[in-house]
Amino acid sequence: MVSVSNSRDRSLEKINYIKLLIYLSVFILVTLILILALVLPSIKRYRVARNEYNQAMVHKTRVEGVLKQREKELKQLQLSNRKIFDSFGHKFSQNEFTNFANKFFDTVALKEVNQSMYTDEYKVYELNVTTLLKTPVKFYKFLDGLNHYQNLIQADFPIDLKSRGDLIHSSFKIKVYNAMKKK
Amino acid sequence: MGSYSFIQPKPKPLLSAFSKIWISFILFVSVLLISFGIFLLLKIHYYKIDKVNTVNERVALESKIAKIDTYMEYLLRQKSLGEEIYTRNTLLKESMKNLFDLVPDKITLNRVIIKKNSLIIYGRTPTKDTFNFLLSAPLKSIFTTSNTMFYLTQNGWYNFVSTNKIAPTDGFSE
Repeated sequence: MVSVSNSRDRSLEKINYIKLLIYLSVFILVTLILILALVLPSIKRYRVARNEYNQAMVHKTRVEGVLKQREKELKQLQLSNRKIFDSFGHKFSQNEFTNFANKFFDTVALKEVNQSMYTDEYKVYELNVTTLLKTPVKFYKFLDGLNHYQNLIQADFPIDLKSRGDLIHSSFKIKVYNAMKKK
Repeated sequence: MGSYSFIQPKPKPLLSAFSKIWISFILFVSVLLISFGIFLLLKIHYYKIDKVNTVNERVALESKIAKIDTYMEYLLRQKSLGEEIYTRNTLLKESMKNLFDLVPDKITLNRVIIKKNSLIIYGRTPTKDTFNFLLSAPLKSIFTTSNTMFYLTQNGWYNFVSTNKIAPTDGFSE
């Protein structure tokens, strides 16, 4: 600090107005230069940077909202169609299907006729089914049961029903749809 | 050398107290302004870093949304195919049920061949009229073309072959 005890320094007692004017000018000049060259541009850039950041945040928040909505929709879709999606993913077994068909028919024979692609997402097995049944009602029940089976199976044409004594010999095609692995 | 003053000489300070105060004040204000400027520059720097991070996070979220959309489209195709298959099975069941309900007790069926656009029925009827009135009429109302051939059997009944076709686009679903 400035020593006031210096008896010879009378600069504070007797102010030199020229010096005061010079210092005041220097002060104003330095302050102005710093404000104009450093503070004001920085404030401007700060505002721009803050706005850009805020905009980025708003955009991100909106996208987060969309993502949450999509995840909800996906979950809903998976829940409401679980049976179909599980059926597509379930590996087809001829033995299991024969056991299932035996609930409706007296005898069941399966013969694989074709394996092909249905678009690039599904593999389709085509099988000929030959059965003996007592009444057509069993066939209707089988078709009903097909919609609740663990695989996605479509009964397909041609369907040939022939009378054989008291029984009906039936021959028809089924198509089993298996989904290819997908992430 | 002799002394010209009674008091001891003291070194004259380079700056007066007045000057020191002013210089200190100017320096203080300058430091304050420079510090504020540096503070702002740092804040700008961190805002920029945060903005880049936020944009990157947003891009990652958008990519996740795109993946979910693709997966949902795939699931919707699966759902649509699954429902179509279930509907076809149900329609086939209804078609067969309707067909067998159409057949009156007097007519016996020996064989039925159902194809996508045609139905061939082999059977026996006591008279041609019985067939024509009871089975042929409803078949004609369903199919585009319906032709029947009769063969007289030894016991006086008729064996028949009824060939019914539907326009290819419609498919057999009645």
